[in-house]
Amino acid sequence: MAVECLTGKKVLIKGNYAIAQAAVNAGCECYFGYPITPQSEIGEFMSGKMQELGRAYVSAESELAAINMVLGACSTGVKAMSSSSSCAVALMQEALSYATADELPVVLVSVMRGGPGLGNIYPSQGDYNQSTKGGGNGDYKLIVLAPSTVQECADLTYKAFYLAHKYKNPTVLLADGLLGQMMEPVEFKPYPYPEIDNSSWALTGAKGRDGRIIRSYAPLADRQCEFLEKLYDKYKKIEENETEWEELNAEDADVVLVSFGSTSRNVNSAAKLLRQKGLKVGTFRPITLFPFPNNRLAELSKSVKKFVVVEVNMGQMVNDVKLAVNGRVPVELINKGVGTPPSPEEIAAKVEELM
Amino acid sequence: MEKDIIIAGFGGQGVLLAGEVLANGFMIDDKNVTWYPSYGAEMRGGTVNCTVVMSDDDVSAVQKSQADYIIVLNQASFDRFEAGVKKGGTIIVNSSLAQVKKSRDDINYISVPITQTAHDRLSNVRMSNILALGVFARVSNLVSLETLEKALNNVIPPHRKALIPKNIEALKLGYEYDLLKV
Repeated sequence: MAVECLTGKKVLIKGNYAIAQAAVNAGCECYFGYPITPQSEIGEFMSGKMQELGRAYVSAESELAAINMVLGACSTGVKAMSSSSSCAVALMQEALSYATADELPVVLVSVMRGGPGLGNIYPSQGDYNQSTKGGGNGDYKLIVLAPSTVQECADLTYKAFYLAHKYKNPTVLLADGLLGQMMEPVEFKPYPYPEIDNSSWALTGAKGRDGRIIRSYAPLADRQCEFLEKLYDKYKKIEENETEWEELNAEDADVVLVSFGSTSRNVNSAAKLLRQKGLKVGTFRPITLFPFPNNRLAELSKSVKKFVVVEVNMGQMVNDVKLAVNGRVPVELINKGVGTPPSPEEIAAKVEELM
Repeated sequence: MEKDIIIAGFGGQGVLLAGEVLANGFMIDDKNVTWYPSYGAEMRGGTVNCTVVMSDDDVSAVQKSQADYIIVLNQASFDRFEAGVKKGGTIIVNSSLAQVKKSRDDINYISVPITQTAHDRLSNVRMSNILALGVFARVSNLVSLETLEKALNNVIPPHRKALIPKNIEALKLGYEYDLLKV
């Protein structure tokens, strides 16, 4: 059941409800969605709250419809979102590619479950590639934020709306079934970011001005090249300004454990166990998966002897770590296909084997 | 200090709610706490459990295969979770719905006729989950009755506030379980 969340008060709340409440606090005007475990509580909360606040909630006929409704709403400049999970986020890939080309501030919450195919409803990190590499066509990037606690589910939802509007680029909050279903104390702060002026591009009716068109169609080759250059200039700026990570004892470490999302909790505990044994182990957690903290990892690879990536998939982020490290030191993988992350003890034992 | 608690029973016995009340209690006491349900293809009458982890430091892991305290409200849960109690840990068994066959000598068994007591003393078997929390508070010393009362206020929605006094009665009854005929 949804908890009434006033800002400034600690509440024990599920990750899904924290995301939904944060979206409401961030000023999300429109929610379009279609239920799927393990994120259905987001739509359930929104179905009541949005109506109560006189905002728009639509239970769409499909995920395809839901995400295209978000595109439509975003073209008018309002904050709008959808939320879904793995096999249903797969259905939204075409629209996400269009939204990057249309430069629309789409916010999508992706709560990962087991795949491929229908898979199952247990937690997973199998959509790292889906969100950072994309399944849509053409050259594009989504901004991807990966929370590791329920508090971060709330804080990064705020940030997702801000970055989406600041850069006019679709932004994904990439959580998983563990974060969606678990409860943890959260304190909701008021939305901390400035409101972005979108009056120069939003479709608000052409009263007193020329009409505007938002489209992704450029029939002339030159113009498409020009657009892509501009788009990638923007991505460069995002990389320069918005790359975020968290590291613990990485400076003097022989081995750095790299993980993202809910897995990082167990990885941090494993590192603690190994430190207690006198082993110089640190941790590194990308918070933005795009932009990925390449430069910092490259820097660390000058002093670190080995990186060990821990993830709940068959090895996806490990490839980005390898690119960042560029062969300077070995990059190993500890993984599990689906489910809750390996226990701290299991991780610690495997790291010791690799040392 | 970190303590792991698993609560298990039939779907419909209020296992998840009891865990939510307990986790709220730990939050009120300014502990770090996580609550994680077993979820899958669950159904009413099937088994369900949740894991609550309380810690002074960051919670080490949200899901645990072993726990310091395991509260089992039915036979299936006793059979499944007896082995999951950590050495020196405690299993609290609802003896109204589970036969306690002690197969370990390195854990404590607390056997309380929880459902029967809820039925006889509160005329409502649905109070079993909160009564079990009262037993847990007494046995573990990890959370006070006063804190759990506050936690009930956090969890029970406004339109059901009338149920709070009865739930507090259940907590107290559980807390004094050793006065019950076991």
